[in-house]
Amino acid sequence: MTSIEIGLWVTGTMLVMVVLGMRVAFAAAGAGLIGLVWIFWAKKGMDPAQFQWALGVAVKTAGQIPHGKVASQALSLIPTFILIGYLAYYAGLTRALFEAAKRWLAWLPGGMAVSTVFATAGFAAVSGASVATAAVFARIAIPEMLKIGYDKRFAAGVVAAGGTLASLIPPSAILVIYAIIVEQDVGKLLLAGFVPGVFSAVIYGALIVGMALIIPGFGPAVKGFTWKQRFASLPPALPIVAVVVIIIFFVYNPFGGDAWGTPTEGGAIGAFIVFLMALHHGMRLPELLDALVETAKLSIMIFTIIWGVLIYVRFLGFADLPGAFADWITSLHYPPMLILVCILLAYAVLGMFMDAIGMLLLTLPVVYPAVMALNGGETVAAADSAFGMNGTMCAIWFGILVVKMAEFCLITPPIGLNCFVVAGVRPELSVQDVFRGVTPFFVADAVTIAGLVAFPGIVLWLPSLA
Amino acid sequence: MAGAASVLEDGSLLSRLDRKLLKLEWGMAVLSGIGAFVLMCLAVISVVGREGFNEPLRGYVDWIEAAMPVIAILGISYVQREGGHIRMDIVVGALGGRALWLAEFITTLLILVLMALLVWGTWAHFDRSFDFAKPNWSRDSSIDIGLPIWPAKLIVPVAFSVICARLALQLWGFGRAFVLGLERPVAVPLVMSAAEQAAAEADHMQGHDA
Amino acid sequence: TEWNVSVWGKRRAFTEHIHKLADLVAEKTNGEFTMNVSYGGLSKNTENLDGISIGAFEMAQFCAGYHPDKNRAITVLELPFLGVNTLDEEVAVSNAVYAHPAVAEEMAQWSARMLMTSPMPQYNLVGTGEPRDTLEKMDGMRVRATGGIGKAFEAVGAVPTSVTSSEAYQAMESGVVDTVAFAQHAHLSFGTINEADWWTANLNPGTVNCPVVVNIDAYDALSDAEREALESSVPEAIDYYLSNYGELLKKWDDVLAEKSVEKVMISDEELAKFEEIGGKPIQDAWLADMSAQGLPGQELLDLVRSTLKAQRGTN
Ligand code: NA
Ligand code: NA
Repeated sequence: MTSIEIGLWVTGTMLVMVVLGMRVAFAAAGAGLIGLVWIFWAKKGMDPAQFQWALGVAVKTAGQIPHGKVASQALSLIPTFILIGYLAYYAGLTRALFEAAKRWLAWLPGGMAVSTVFATAGFAAVSGASVATAAVFARIAIPEMLKIGYDKRFAAGVVAAGGTLASLIPPSAILVIYAIIVEQDVGKLLLAGFVPGVFSAVIYGALIVGMALIIPGFGPAVKGFTWKQRFASLPPALPIVAVVVIIIFFVYNPFGGDAWGTPTEGGAIGAFIVFLMALHHGMRLPELLDALVETAKLSIMIFTIIWGVLIYVRFLGFADLPGAFADWITSLHYPPMLILVCILLAYAVLGMFMDAIGMLLLTLPVVYPAVMALNGGETVAAADSAFGMNGTMCAIWFGILVVKMAEFCLITPPIGLNCFVVAGVRPELSVQDVFRGVTPFFVADAVTIAGLVAFPGIVLWLPSLA
Repeated sequence: MAGAASVLEDGSLLSRLDRKLLKLEWGMAVLSGIGAFVLMCLAVISVVGREGFNEPLRGYVDWIEAAMPVIAILGISYVQREGGHIRMDIVVGALGGRALWLAEFITTLLILVLMALLVWGTWAHFDRSFDFAKPNWSRDSSIDIGLPIWPAKLIVPVAFSVICARLALQLWGFGRAFVLGLERPVAVPLVMSAAEQAAAEADHMQGHDA
Repeated sequence: TEWNVSVWGKRRAFTEHIHKLADLVAEKTNGEFTMNVSYGGLSKNTENLDGISIGAFEMAQFCAGYHPDKNRAITVLELPFLGVNTLDEEVAVSNAVYAHPAVAEEMAQWSARMLMTSPMPQYNLVGTGEPRDTLEKMDGMRVRATGGIGKAFEAVGAVPTSVTSSEAYQAMESGVVDTVAFAQHAHLSFGTINEADWWTANLNPGTVNCPVVVNIDAYDALSDAEREALESSVPEAIDYYLSNYGELLKKWDDVLAEKSVEKVMISDEELAKFEEIGGKPIQDAWLADMSAQGLPGQELLDLVRSTLKAQRGTN
C-alpha cells in the first residue's frame, strides 16, 4: 500500500470517529497515531517482529508534539486574546458600546438593529472569540429591540450574525491559528482582517436598512437623542478605541515610523489596560479568578485541538499527503478561480457540520498548499500568478476568505454555535427561531465573500502598506 | 458541535472519587488561568523595560515558551471532566439509554488508550531532555538564555496522567450506567441539548454585566 | 534503501549540500539509495536530534545554538572571535571538532553520527539609523544575536533581545531590536536586509554551527556499496555548497547597492578592543563551564586553533 493510500484510510477513520461523537481533538490525535504506526511498520515490511519497534517510534514521535507545538511565542496570543474578551466584559465596556451605538445610529431605518451590529463590531475590536461576543450582546441588545417592536426572531439573528465579526476584526484567535498553520506573519494577517470586518459590518447594516425600508412594521427608527446625549455616550466607550489603537500601533504604525512592538506584546498590553479598567469598574478577586478559569478552559479546549490535529498533520508529513493533493489540484484543467470558488463552497458545506477551529485545523494542511500551488507557488510574483497577487498576499487573502467561511458556519444550521448561544441566553427564543432570524444574513455574507473574492484589494490594501 | 455538559453527584464511592479528583483538576485549571495572567504581566514588564529603561526582559521568548504548557495543557483533565472538549453530537445526541452509554463507553475507552500511549510518548520526550548527571539536570535548553526545558516538558505527562485517571472514572461511570440501565448516571458528563448548553453558557455571563 | 531527511524553512543556500548529496548518492547506487528531503514535515527544527534519537527519520540538520545543553561539545565552534575567516576554514575546524571522541560520544547519546557541516560565514550586523561602528555606539544597542555571539555583544554593553529568526524582520521593523546578526543568506531569506540602512563588513564576531547527522542504526544497516556512496559524496556535496555560497557572496555587494545599504568598515582599533572585551573573557567562561562538567574544553579549543593554523599553512 502506498503512503498516500494509508493517508486516505487514516483520514477516513478519523472522520468516522468524529461523526460518531469522539471528541475532535482525540479523534485527530488517535488517527494520527494509528497512521504513524502504520507508516513506520510498513517501512519494515509489516514484519510482526517489528511491530513493537514501529509502535515505539510512532508513540515517541507523537509524544513530541503536545509540548513542542504548544511552547510557541506566536500561539501565546490565543490565551491573551481570550482573556481580553472576558476582562472587557467585567470592565463594563459592552454596555457602554451599545449605548453609544444606539444614540448615534438608532435614527436610521432599522436603527436599533444597525446599532447592535456596530456595537458588536466595536466589541469585536477587543474580543477574540465570536461565541463570547454573541453571548454578551444577546443579553444587552435583544431586550432593547423587543421593547420597540422588532420581530424577536430577527432581533436574535442580528446578534448571532454580529457576533461573527469578532473573528475578522482583530484581535482574533482564529486568525492567529490560521497564521500558525500556514506559517505567515501574524501581524499582517490581523491587520488584513480589519477592513473586511468593517466591510462585513457595513453590508450587514445596509441589509438591515434595506429590509426596514421594504418591510412594513419592521422596527421603528429611534429618534430624539440630542447631540449632547450623543457626545455624553462617547467617553465610557472610548477605552475601546484606546485599546484598538494600541493593538494596531503594535502591529503597524500608520504614521510611517516604527511600530511599537510585536503583535504578542500588543495583545498583552491591550489586555492589561482592560484589566485595569475592570479593576476600576469593580472587578475583585472572585471575578478575576472566574475570568482566568474561563480563559483557561477555552484556551485548553483550543490547544487540545491544536496539538491533536498536529499529531495527525505530522502523520500527513510522513505520508506526504499535502504534496500529493497539491499536485492533483494543479493538474486539474479548470480555471484556478473556479477551483477556488469550489473550495470555498466545500467549506460552506463542511461548516454546516463542524466547529470553525476544528474545520480549519483539519483542512488547511492539505488545502492551503494546494491553493498556493494554484496561484503559482509560495514565491510567485504578482505578474506571473493566477490570482494576480504574490505568494504572501495570496496567503493573506485566502486566510481572510477561509476565516469568513468559518464565521459563516457559526450561523448556518444544523450546527451554528452562535445561534445556539443566542437561543440559550434568551428563554423566549428557540434555536429554530434564531436560525430563521439569521437567514437574511446568509445573503449579506454571500455578498461579502463575493466582494472579497472579486476585489482582493479590500483585504490586501492595509497589509500592503505595512 | 457541543462542548459543555453537566455532571451529577451523589454519595456513592464513584461520585466521591469524582469530587476528590475534581479538586485536583480545579487546582490545575486555576494554575493554567494564572499562567495566562502571568503571560500578560511578562509582556508588560518586557515592553516597559525596553521602552522605559532600555532594559528588555532577558529571555522573554524563552520564558513565554516555558509558561505555555502550563496554560495550554495543565488543566486538560478539568476540561474533560466538564465535557468541554468539542465534539460533533449529531449521532450521540440522537441516542438514548443503553445505546448512548455504550457509545460513550467506547469513545472514552479509545481516548483512554490514546492518552495512556501519549503518557509514554510525552514521558520519553521529557526523559530525553533530563539527565541527573548534568548541570541543572538538563540535556535540552532554550535558545536565548539557556533555560533548562525539562520542567516544561514534564508538565505534559503529568497532566496526561491526571486525565487518564479521569477517563478511567468516566469509563466506570458509563459502564455502570450501561449495565444498570441508568437514566441519569453520576460522575459523567451528560449530553445537554443545544438549548441547555447555551443556557449554561449564558448563565455564566448572567449578573456580571453592569 | 530510502531515507527521510528532516530540515526546516525553505530550500536555500544553507540546505543545498543536502540536495546535492541526495542526487550524488542516488546516482552512484543507480537509484537504490534515495533520500526524501522534508522541510518541516517530519519535525520541528529544535527537535531534529530527538527525531534522530527516536529513529523517526534517518538524517537531519540542526544548529548547536538552538539547544546548547543537547550538544555541549560542539558549542566550541560558536565561540566569539575564534578567528575563522573563510568558509574553507570553517569546514576544516568543523571536521576536526566533529572527529573528536567527546563529540562523537555526545552525539551517540542521541543515536546520531556526524556526517558533515553546513559552513556559515561570520554573523555580521545589519541595522537601521546611524551605523554602530564603535563600541561606544554599541552600548545600549538592542541586538538579535544568540549563543556566544550574543554574549560577546552583551560584554560591550549591548542588549541581546530574543526573537526567533522568522520574527527578526518584524522585530527590526517595529524597533524591538536595532540590529540583527545573521549570515548573508539569512539576511536575504528572512528579509532583514530590506529593512537595513547599513551592514558591518568586517566586524566578524563569530558564527553558528549547524551539522548534518545520520541515525547510527540506519547508517549501520546500509550495504557496503551504499555506505561507500554516502561517504564518498560528502566532500563533493560540501564543494558544491561552497561554490554555491560563493556565488551568493559574490552578488552580495550588488545586493547591498541595490537595497542602498551602506557597507560599514570598523577600524582596527575598535575591532581589537571588541575582541579584548568580547573574545577572551567569554572563551574563558566557556572553558570553566566545560571543565566543571568534565568535558575537555581546553582540548577542543586547542584543536580549533591548531586546525586553523594547519589550514592556513597549506594555503
Ligand atoms: Na476580534
Ligand atoms: Na454551521
